Amino acid sequence: MASFVRAAAVAGALAPDAPPDAAPDLVLPPVGGDWMGRAETVARAVGDALKSRAGLDEREWPAMPCLVGSSSHFIGAREAQPEAELGPPVEFAARLARCFGAAGPVMMVNTACTSGLTALALARDLIDAGRCRHVLVLGVELANRLSSIGFGALGLLSASTAKPCDRDRDGLVLGEAFGALLVSGSGAWRIAAAATEIDPSGFAAPAPNEDVFARAMRAALSAAGWQAAEVDLLKLQAGGSPTGDLAEARAIRRTFASLPHMVSFKGAIGHTLGASGPAELALLLAALSRGRVPPTAGFRHADAEVGLAPEAADGAPVRRVLFNLAGFGGHVASLALARE
Amino acid sequence: MITLAAPTVVRIGAAELAPRVRARFGGELRRAGTFAQLCLLGAQACLDAAPPRGALGMLWASSRGAVGAARTALAEAANGEPVMPFTLVATLPHLAATLLAQRGAPPTRAAFVHIAPPDWPSLLGLAQAWLTGCEQVLLGWVEEAAEKHGTHQSDWCVLQKEPGELSCEPLREARGALPATSADWLARVAAWTAAPREPLALRGGGEAWRFAAGR
Repeated sequence: MASFVRAAAVAGALAPDAPPDAAPDLVLPPVGGDWMGRAETVARAVGDALKSRAGLDEREWPAMPCLVGSSSHFIGAREAQPEAELGPPVEFAARLARCFGAAGPVMMVNTACTSGLTALALARDLIDAGRCRHVLVLGVELANRLSSIGFGALGLLSASTAKPCDRDRDGLVLGEAFGALLVSGSGAWRIAAAATEIDPSGFAAPAPNEDVFARAMRAALSAAGWQAAEVDLLKLQAGGSPTGDLAEARAIRRTFASLPHMVSFKGAIGHTLGASGPAELALLLAALSRGRVPPTAGFRHADAEVGLAPEAADGAPVRRVLFNLAGFGGHVASLALARE
Repeated sequence: MITLAAPTVVRIGAAELAPRVRARFGGELRRAGTFAQLCLLGAQACLDAAPPRGALGMLWASSRGAVGAARTALAEAANGEPVMPFTLVATLPHLAATLLAQRGAPPTRAAFVHIAPPDWPSLLGLAQAWLTGCEQVLLGWVEEAAEKHGTHQSDWCVLQKEPGELSCEPLREARGALPATSADWLARVAAWTAAPREPLALRGGGEAWRFAAGR
């Protein structure tokens, strides 16, 4: 059996100077007040958008499993109530699932920045094995001080804006997002492969090395049965990290004799950590449904060493997509998607 | 049908973790937090008994994960102190897979998940699905001690396609199976393997699995 992304929706915040092509479906409400109440309000709004696109019989939802990818789960709620106990993260996942009317088994997946894509790969396993017909996959990363302070302490943040692949890039900009995907046995985009690689030397490194990026992409191409030349579009991990963007770029130039179209979303919505898989996939599929590869916000000046120049493309026939993500600890994921 | 090998139960007092890690790995695991070290200690003990023979998946779960490091990081942030970089690193449970990769057993797939107490059969179901692409799946349940002088838990087993001493399979009917939780099913399987006369059937979350001697 094959698995498909049947519908997608995302809430996030578009950077002020980002092009509207990469705008999320829904704008997140201002931070403040009841943290958990805000999360559930967003969940219900994203759920309405997802359901309207999925066209699924309402009776399918109550038994549906839900896999939530997040690296910070409800840490933000605990920050607002320091005296409260830090509860099991799966309780957060269950509360979000209920906002979608999904009352099947729930899992919270945490592989840092690849969490949402790991959740998508697990959903594919469940569908392919015939264990269920539909799986709700969420990628959720909402406001919390710990992520900002932690990434700051690690020296990974930009002092200005995210500039993926740009010669002036100087670090990441964190963002919030709530992405939702419905994975089913039918849909517009087939999940042709989901490959992961781990960089043993990447335990405390902010970005994997280029060999690991290259291995992940090659593994995805091989599992999908594709040649590199058959890829129409590459969704980059690139978020403006001086070393991370360069490692990915070198791996891409080793893997692709002729570069496909490319796009990064981290200049538009920030690096949304564990949410970035579902969130960026929702943005990408929405743009492609409009027949457009959107521009990469923040990219202005090519860097000779990086050697990539992501550009917008109107009417480009995009049937095969490779979707890269990388995370802290040397974990790299590469997803192959084919338009049916 | 798949087989289960090397059910491994590690219970150690919180204060014993560091010396046990030093004894097993010949030194400190530099920069690794309590949770990742605890995962690695149990996972390596399991792999010592069932060495990897090909593509290895690593699927492990916990109720609270790296809760000790998370509390420390939150306290540092709440006090307005800069969070130390390796305090943040210690909050990341998935780094156990990177530690395992450093020791010559790089997982080709890895996922760390939080699940509810009755939902352990979903892990077995996923591991079974992974065996279409992996030779073996290292499956674990890890929980840090709830208090300073409490006991850490790091329980693991290896699931594989090839014949082995213990078979396991999902049951169509959960009735008659004994209730088990995410925290105790592996320990119960390990205890049963000491004298596996009758098959053992355990259930949780509406699903049941049967464990039997031989294949």
